[in-house]
Amino acid sequence: MLVIVLLAVGRFALAPHLTAPALQTWATIFVAICVQALPFLVFGVALSAAITAFVPASFWTRALPRNPAVAVPVAGAAGAVLPGCECASVPVASGLMARGVTPAAALAFLLASPAINPIVLVATAVAFPGQPLMVLARFGASLTVAVLVGWLWLRFGRSQWLRVPSRPHGEGPGWTRFGEAMRHDLLHAGGFLIVGGLAAATLNVAVPREWLATVAEVPWLAILVMALLAVLLSICSEADAFVAASMTAFSPTAKLAFLVVGPMVDLKLIALQAGTFGGAFTARFVPLTFALAVPVSTLFGWLLL
Amino acid sequence: MNRVTQNLVLTLLGCAVLQISAFSTTYLNYVKPGFRPFLIGAGAVLVVLGIIGLLQAAGAKKGTEGGADDRPLAPHHSDEHDRPGENTHGHPHGGPRVAWLLCLPVFAIFLIAPPALGSFAASRDDTPPPRDQPLSAFPPLAGDGPVDMPIGEFIGRAWDDDKKSLTGREVRLTGFVVPAKKKGQWYVTRMQLACCAADAFPLKVSVRGLQAPPADTWIEVTGTWIPQTFKKMPAGVVHPQLTGKSLTRIETPDEPYE
Repeated sequence: MLVIVLLAVGRFALAPHLTAPALQTWATIFVAICVQALPFLVFGVALSAAITAFVPASFWTRALPRNPAVAVPVAGAAGAVLPGCECASVPVASGLMARGVTPAAALAFLLASPAINPIVLVATAVAFPGQPLMVLARFGASLTVAVLVGWLWLRFGRSQWLRVPSRPHGEGPGWTRFGEAMRHDLLHAGGFLIVGGLAAATLNVAVPREWLATVAEVPWLAILVMALLAVLLSICSEADAFVAASMTAFSPTAKLAFLVVGPMVDLKLIALQAGTFGGAFTARFVPLTFALAVPVSTLFGWLLL
Repeated sequence: MNRVTQNLVLTLLGCAVLQISAFSTTYLNYVKPGFRPFLIGAGAVLVVLGIIGLLQAAGAKKGTEGGADDRPLAPHHSDEHDRPGENTHGHPHGGPRVAWLLCLPVFAIFLIAPPALGSFAASRDDTPPPRDQPLSAFPPLAGDGPVDMPIGEFIGRAWDDDKKSLTGREVRLTGFVVPAKKKGQWYVTRMQLACCAADAFPLKVSVRGLQAPPADTWIEVTGTWIPQTFKKMPAGVVHPQLTGKSLTRIETPDEPYE
């Protein structure tokens, strides 16, 4: 109710004052990022909710090979056909672990699925018209990082670092669970999308173009800055390609680093993972992923872009 | 955030999206024209989801009548995967408080109703990225009298056309006015989108010989191209020039970007 009252009051009291050109430009860019990303978010959330609600969890244990070293790449590649954004991938991965899937395989899935699923790749293709190699490089670099992290975890990971959650299976009619999962994901992912949109619009208007242009001219610095921006902005993987495309000053490789790091490491994911798998896990997993994602995307960018 | 508020926020967000896409052409200020069906679809899904949720919440309230649990429809749930309606247990990542932010675009759309990018954005940004131009793929200009032409095409023909098809031809450009730093000229400008307004960059043509209208006025300007005198492109940003002959003020077009 409060929201509606505020809307009505604001419409008459505030609207005449909100006309400064800088503020209007900021608002246009903010709304543009939200409006552009929203259909992708809604579509992605709907599909991931459908999987949560209608595909039985035991299916995944049967589908994966027994040998863990083989299961890692298979699980990573499975991310390519299973749409879901990163907010959805954390609960799905923890569910897989709870059902006896090798943690390393579940982690490879966790990293790969938000980065290389069809919706994200289509969004990337839309955001970079005429640059199909960007889609290919994103796919290749993300899958490589996911599999490498999975194998490293298999080799060096200790089970006591990881808190494998066991939890009861959600019951109820499929459609109710579908609606619930969708609302849950929309409210969370949507909220964090707005955070990203706010930050991106502010950067866009407040930071003088010369700064970004200066940073963007130093190749290694540009890549690092974009990778860090991806962590800070925490944009949903269904939307991040549009933000990356808007950073026109940066090189394609720096944009690729943004696209590879973003779905794997960002502030909201760190929070989600710490909450689900525990702090000891997150303190090791996040730096490892970041340290692998930057060089791998640089390599792919150098090879392909 | 309780269940009613959550669903209300989703409904409002859906309404805002439908308002700019289905019931007006405001969405053209933010994204490309082809995006409309996706926006309408997303808005409709949000509204339907929100309204169903509101109805369920209302039904649940009636059913339990003041009971502690107002969500009888999702019986089992864990601490790791709380439904957002649960605000009693600690949610692992700050809970659905972040969902309040979804009100921001709603406020922005209904309160500020952000207009298309204008002269502020266009004069701020003077680093047009290199674009892939189909070199010399320009057909000759047909017909007599002024030719209507997108500003992007004018710039392409001015810089990259070997046959110099613009020479001596009268053209009509549509755009908004951006003041120039140099005296005696101003820019007729159109923003170009790759994807959405966040990546817009300005296409500018410098107009000489006409009194500058106020900034942000939409105009149609008729004139002829001034061929550049330099052989090689100088460093920095240069805009092609036009000798203005006449000027008409027009309404802001529905489709503000090129």
